Amino acid sequence: MRVVIAEDQVLLREGLGRLFEDAGHEVIASLGDTDGLLPAIAGQHPDLIVLDIRMPPTFTDEGARAAREIKERHPELGVLLLSQHIETTHAVALVTLGGFGYLLKDRVLAVGEFLAAAERVAQGGSALDPKVVAGLVSGRGEDDLLAELTEREREVLELMAEGLTNAGIAKRLYLSERTVEAHVRHVLTKLDLPESEDGHRRVLAVLAHLSATQESVT
Amino acid sequence: MGDNDGVDEFASAHAAARDDRGDSGASAQVGRAARGGQLTARRVATLIWALCLVIALATFVLLAIGPGRVLPSDIFSGVGGVSFLVLAMTFASVGALVARRVPENGIGWIFLLTGLANSVQLLTWQYADVGLHATERLPGATAAAVFNTVIGEATAGLLGLSLLLFPDGRLPSRRWRPALVSLVVGMALLVLAGTLRPGRYAEPFAQISNPFGLAGAGGVIDGVDFAGWLFVIAGIGLGAAAMVIRLRGARGIERQQLKLVLTVGSVAATAAALLMVTWLVWPTGQLQLRIAVLGLCFASVPLVAGVAILRYRLYEIEIVVNHTLVYVALTLILAAAFAATVVLLGTLLGRGSGWATAAATLVVAAAFRPLRARLQDAVDRRFNRARYDALRRVADFLEDLRSGRAAPEEVEGVLREVLSDPTLELMFFLPESGLYVDARGVPVSDHPDAGRERVPVERGGQPLGLVLFDPASQENPTLLRHVVEAGGLGIEIARLHVALRRQLAEVEASRARIVAAGNEERRRLERDLHDGAQQRLVSIGLALRHAQHELSTSSPERASHTLDGALAEVALSIDELRELAHGLPPPQLDAGLGPALRELARRAPVPIEVKVPGERFDPGLETAAYFIACEGFTNAVKHADATRIELSAGRVNGKLVVSVADDGVGGATPVAGSGLSGLSDRVAAHGGTLRIESDQGAGTTLTAELPCGS
Repeated sequence: MRVVIAEDQVLLREGLGRLFEDAGHEVIASLGDTDGLLPAIAGQHPDLIVLDIRMPPTFTDEGARAAREIKERHPELGVLLLSQHIETTHAVALVTLGGFGYLLKDRVLAVGEFLAAAERVAQGGSALDPKVVAGLVSGRGEDDLLAELTEREREVLELMAEGLTNAGIAKRLYLSERTVEAHVRHVLTKLDLPESEDGHRRVLAVLAHLSATQESVT
Repeated sequence: MGDNDGVDEFASAHAAARDDRGDSGASAQVGRAARGGQLTARRVATLIWALCLVIALATFVLLAIGPGRVLPSDIFSGVGGVSFLVLAMTFASVGALVARRVPENGIGWIFLLTGLANSVQLLTWQYADVGLHATERLPGATAAAVFNTVIGEATAGLLGLSLLLFPDGRLPSRRWRPALVSLVVGMALLVLAGTLRPGRYAEPFAQISNPFGLAGAGGVIDGVDFAGWLFVIAGIGLGAAAMVIRLRGARGIERQQLKLVLTVGSVAATAAALLMVTWLVWPTGQLQLRIAVLGLCFASVPLVAGVAILRYRLYEIEIVVNHTLVYVALTLILAAAFAATVVLLGTLLGRGSGWATAAATLVVAAAFRPLRARLQDAVDRRFNRARYDALRRVADFLEDLRSGRAAPEEVEGVLREVLSDPTLELMFFLPESGLYVDARGVPVSDHPDAGRERVPVERGGQPLGLVLFDPASQENPTLLRHVVEAGGLGIEIARLHVALRRQLAEVEASRARIVAAGNEERRRLERDLHDGAQQRLVSIGLALRHAQHELSTSSPERASHTLDGALAEVALSIDELRELAHGLPPPQLDAGLGPALRELARRAPVPIEVKVPGERFDPGLETAAYFIACEGFTNAVKHADATRIELSAGRVNGKLVVSVADDGVGGATPVAGSGLSGLSDRVAAHGGTLRIESDQGAGTTLTAELPCGS
């Protein structure tokens, strides 16, 4: 996997680089701001861009704006946005683009899951931070469809929303893929969602459902 | 006599003019006709006036070459005759002016006619007098005497017409028609009697026997004459009554006109009556002179009437009249008081008139001011209604203000109403900021727009504000000044209200700034935490992961090196967190202001003397006091080059007084956005005051006084 990193903090940038290199990936560019991103992408055919949301000069949302621009020009590229804090609405909107990830920075410490998410995004999948998913799932009323899910099904739903594939879910929950498939089917039936194959469209459907039902509750 | 025709003519001219004004949709032809009519009217007026002038000049020549005999009946000779010529020409001139300027107003024509009738009467009198008494009778002298006798009495009726139709040339209403009829009938009867009375004429034409006299009908003619006088006098009386009734219902300009003419008319009438009295007491001697004075007295009335109708300097004249009335009455009363005191004391003491004079002078001096005020008020009430009403309205407003029925902000509306200028603006002066603001407290320019004037409002020598007004709406500029003076209290209260509201707004703005500063501070903390400590911890985590990786793949030395780097990061994080905690209330503040400030002093690079008693205050107040001390202390260390700082805090007169004094360079000034400016907001938020004494080279002393509440 060829990776481009844009992060203004030197230590973190180097740490991220080491992390990807330790896992056998190639870091082809390491930038301190968003200015050099597009030329770097154009020349080197990366698979994944890792971006900090806050970067110079204003330290507000330079990363997010750069991410949108990259997705408009190179829809096939995976973009992983790293944030210091949770921001549900924007995160969900971005992730529904596909080939997009939104994770809190401290996820990098769980190296295995972080790399898995990065690879998923690079392959056109999604990665949504568990905290964002938890925000979408929590705080619902008694009559909500989610209330009908079992504890296990709920876990599966959350992992689906994070963008994990059936195999990824199985690995995370220490279940067989077959069991996971059954849970996924139950979840989709209970939530009245169309059965679609394991992939981005499933994430979209789940997120759309969660966002819509949450709006109706709040 | 053509009086009746004359009146009808004016009435139709008036009607034409009214049509011209009222019916704007009328055809252009009608408009031209009306304008043509106006042109003709002007020519006619000028013509009549010229005729009068010629007659008057001819009469003057006759007067000059006349016999100059002074008989009791020969009153229109010499200066007496000249005076009455002046009277006739005054009527004619004022009449011509009015008729030319406002031809639709019948008064001009009546005055012209009066002037003409009087001058013809004077001419025929003089001609007959000279012609009959000359060595050779002049041709037509008899006819002149006859003509003079025929119209002589009837001209009195013209006065009634003027009274009845003043000031607009119209009857007050249709019900007044009988008065008009009475005058016309009366004048006709007098002409009839003059024409038909049998026998010899009165002096100085006694040598002529009336050629038209009805022999034997003397008794009947006397009856007709008497009836004529009755009708004319009734008409004049009704005319005077009409004026008074008009005055009662009149507003604005018409009221001023009537008032002026009535006032001057009454003075002239009184003077005339007094002259008549002297006649009875002293029938001969200076007869012509007295007649001259009488004529001039009468002449003042048409003059003033013309002024009133043409509105020329109406108000200045009113002021002159007003003052004349007050001072004439004042002089009379004071003179009477003086005389009475002198006589009384002289009688009592029998001698020493010097004492009596001195006492009388004292009495007069003491009575002058209060008496003048009384008289002014009485005269105002009677003769200066507009001013009286305006001041009354202002006084009522102040009364309402006192009893809470009116809000002080209404003062502008009251001024607008009283001065009938809806565009009038009142702006208040705020001495602390030197700004002019409107009633809402919004700053406004004190430079008036074109065509507007400004009058400053003061009270006790202190400027309160400005009144901007449209000078065109103020026909009486002194009224404005009087009203503004009278309303000073209301304006001052309104100004205080506005100032208070501005201060409140200022406090609200300062509170908003403090909240914003608080939010900004929180954002700064959040950013510092996220971008600083949190990222550093993430990178430390990554370093640890890397070390883990290195331990499993390569040499322990490299892992140790990575761990050293991570430890250095940890040390930096600790420093960062400490920095972050700076600016938050320290935990020592929980134990009170004293311990917290002593802790602050311990960490300081210069010796700090802390004088803080153990008393506890409201936690919010203690926090504020702590940060004020911190800021002062930081300034002293950073900017003042201080070698010693004295920090004290304690209760003085119900206030928590915090003071930071250093021995540094001084010269500190609060600049916007600086620590000192933020400090003054913090102090203001607690309703306190901040004082900075910082003379160049004399150190800086910062004193904040915060109200304690308890």
